[in-house]
Amino acid sequence: MREDESATTAAFASRGKVVPLPRADAPQDLNHLTWAYQTHVTAIYQYIYNRVGNRPDAEDLTAQVFMKAINSMRSDVSVPELRSWLYRVAQTTLADHWREYYAEDAAELDDDVTRPPAARENPEAVQRVDALLATLPESYRRVLELRFLRGYSVRETAQELDLSETNVKVLQFRALNRAGRERGGRS
Amino acid sequence: MNDDPEQLDKYVEDLLQDRKPERTPLPDEDALRARQTAAMLRAAKPGAGLPSKEFLERMQGSIRDLVDERSARPQPAARPSRRALLITGGAGVAAGIAAGVAAAVGLDRLPKPSAPSSSQALVENGSWKPVKAVADLPEGTPVAFRSGAIEGFLIRNGDEVRGLSAVCTHMGCILNYSKLRSKFECPCHGATFEITGLPTRDQYDTPLPRLPSLSVRIQRGQVEVYTV
Repeated sequence: MREDESATTAAFASRGKVVPLPRADAPQDLNHLTWAYQTHVTAIYQYIYNRVGNRPDAEDLTAQVFMKAINSMRSDVSVPELRSWLYRVAQTTLADHWREYYAEDAAELDDDVTRPPAARENPEAVQRVDALLATLPESYRRVLELRFLRGYSVRETAQELDLSETNVKVLQFRALNRAGRERGGRS
Repeated sequence: MNDDPEQLDKYVEDLLQDRKPERTPLPDEDALRARQTAAMLRAAKPGAGLPSKEFLERMQGSIRDLVDERSARPQPAARPSRRALLITGGAGVAAGIAAGVAAAVGLDRLPKPSAPSSSQALVENGSWKPVKAVADLPEGTPVAFRSGAIEGFLIRNGDEVRGLSAVCTHMGCILNYSKLRSKFECPCHGATFEITGLPTRDQYDTPLPRLPSLSVRIQRGQVEVYTV
């Protein structure tokens, strides 16, 4: 635990990005931290999982969010502010995560960063995916549905679509790139 | 270096197998977007996306350690008298705070919280917030609401409205209400609660605490909830 004042100052730095800690309205107890965890851990996990798509990363990043939040949080911050603050820490944590793949500002590539998060994430994720798939040509949509929504292997997808496995990978590559541009193009 | 179908498929396979994908630097934005899109598609697969019991337990332990550590440090703003009891309860803490919000209007018929720890915590400096019109509440069917820090259900029986916390007393997930089965159901690990807030019998060796009641009142046709 840091002993210096910065542990309780009103800012949290994430690689140059500063997320200001909300000001407290009234002195409150440390129970905030535990309560914030209890009521938000599943929602934050889902928020992150919907963006990284795998359990190990989602677990690591969720843990990071709560550790960062608790380490740099005053004990007197109010609970409603804490909720939105947790989501903002989650957003910068995700941006840092994607920056490990591509050094440009990944936050600007994610069209969801400025949108207020929904209370229940998963139904929303399904809707977003449906809307995205609807913008794609039939063959692209088909390969993504088989691979991701039905969990077909490359071999099974190849049989289903009557293509070679190499061609399935090429089709998947084009489909994901096209879908990625569709997402990036919207704002 | 250019992105190619083989490399992208390796990433996709990692996602599909729930492995941590390798962190390899990518050549351009398109390559990054393709992977972000793959992650989003993977997350939409039915049944994906809930935290595991083991992870939640691990997290809960870490959070408790951190809170203990912090409360061991002198902090002028904190009130030591209540701190001790508030950090010890694990899943009971959320229940406890919500229970402490008040003893609810029209709740005399309901049993008192069974676990002593879940009735001791207090919330101060709250206020009454309107959440729903009484007219919007069907007879006997819980309606979910969220206000400030509170996630809860309102249940109207005749002229009486009562409030229940929607936070599962197992690991803190938010409950859904199933009209079909007339139960509150936890999407995380399947715990269920009766409409009274009592846990369904015999699900766990150690029975879960009941869902805490929320303090509610009716003002000019609006249901108000006491919340922080």
